[in-house]
Amino acid sequence: MMRSALTLFQKDIRLLLGRGSGLVQALLLGFLLIFLFSLSADMATPTTAKAAAAIFWMASAFCQVLIFNTLYGYEEGQGQRLGLLLGKTPPQAVWLGKGAAALVALLLVQALLLPAIAVFLRQGFVALWPQAILALVLANLGGVGLGSLLGALSQGQGAKESLLSIILFPLLLPLFLMGIFVFAAAFTGEHTQEVGAWLRLAAAFDGTFLGAAYLLFPYIYTAE
Amino acid sequence: MMHTPKNNALRTNYTPFCPWAGILALLGGVALAACQWLIFVYAPVEATLGLPQKIFYLHVPLAWWGMLSFFLTFVASALYLKHGTPRWDMLAESAAEAGLLLAGLALVAGSFWARASWGVWWIWDARLTTTLIMCFTYAGYLIIRRLDMPEMRRNKVAAVVGIVAFLDVPLVYISSRLWSFIHPPSVQLDSDMRLVMWLCVGACSFFWAGLVTLRFSLAATERTLNTLTAQQLAAQSAKE
Repeated sequence: MMRSALTLFQKDIRLLLGRGSGLVQALLLGFLLIFLFSLSADMATPTTAKAAAAIFWMASAFCQVLIFNTLYGYEEGQGQRLGLLLGKTPPQAVWLGKGAAALVALLLVQALLLPAIAVFLRQGFVALWPQAILALVLANLGGVGLGSLLGALSQGQGAKESLLSIILFPLLLPLFLMGIFVFAAAFTGEHTQEVGAWLRLAAAFDGTFLGAAYLLFPYIYTAE
Repeated sequence: MMHTPKNNALRTNYTPFCPWAGILALLGGVALAACQWLIFVYAPVEATLGLPQKIFYLHVPLAWWGMLSFFLTFVASALYLKHGTPRWDMLAESAAEAGLLLAGLALVAGSFWARASWGVWWIWDARLTTTLIMCFTYAGYLIIRRLDMPEMRRNKVAAVVGIVAFLDVPLVYISSRLWSFIHPPSVQLDSDMRLVMWLCVGACSFFWAGLVTLRFSLAATERTLNTLTAQQLAAQSAKE
């Protein structure tokens, strides 16, 4: 299974970076959201750390939806999904390969969104670096695990971006809250005891949904 | 024509209107009406929160039965994925619809209570937030059920979402508690208040069971009609 997953991951990353359109589209949307929200602040009253963290995670969530729709869109035409299954690729390998590709793409996008947060919303990391990085990794892991499961359900559907958003976003709420809390603490430098509790919650989320997605993905991907 | 015994398809698939749905709905209606007397006459007025606390007797049963509905959707979805029997799928859908209705009403009742007691329409309370997120998730679940895709695929996709959605409940609850800045003071119930609350929960159970049974019966009838239509179309195209 790992070999199939790795092959799919390499293929998707090549397509994503080679064609560029999916990644650039996600990035542009992220920048646009951050810029538009920056209009609500002025020189005298800059955006609060919590609001800036919320904008970052919201932009990341929308980027994630675009990335998954691009990744699952590659096998949409000409029965390629069935081709993958007939080639004896374990369905979980598709989930893992797509999830890994989305994780890399999302990290790339976020690496560019963070400077935009610093420029447009006047925020910067002043403390809590390891915890903020851990929060980023945990939130992205859980997000892509669940996103890769649900990304397959919108495959072949009209208005799939909105469909995936309305299913995925409410489920990701615990991760959003964790990300907002930890990033706001990192922007202000105010360390609280609660950061540890949030990180543990995110780890529990990841364990639950990575396990559930692994078990449930074949039902979505192979169903006809 | 629908009841002609010669028609095999009708004999095997047709599910008549379930009389239990009517009986349960009637019982629920009478019991909920009786509860109004208990709420406004029998139960004492709460010392701190005053008259608005009466909303509590409606809010709690709605929220509890809504959440139980979502749990039923979770169980029925898991059983559908395991066995592939359509009745589990229909039960999951019926419970989700009833759950969304009750949870939505619980949110409205909770919002009125918050406004009357704390002066705001919404408070970041863990229970209210969890109910709201469940409403969003199961609204998405019901949208999936109306998607134009092959029936088997749609049912399986919906079952997966039905399972995943319920797994999120404890995590949403804990995260809302962690996030919370203000907690509403917990209501201290005396024995009369507690009795009325449990009677209201019991009364709501009839209403809920009637709703789910009625919706299940409708889903079964809809399924039969779809099968008949497909059979008739197949027979027509074979003739041509």
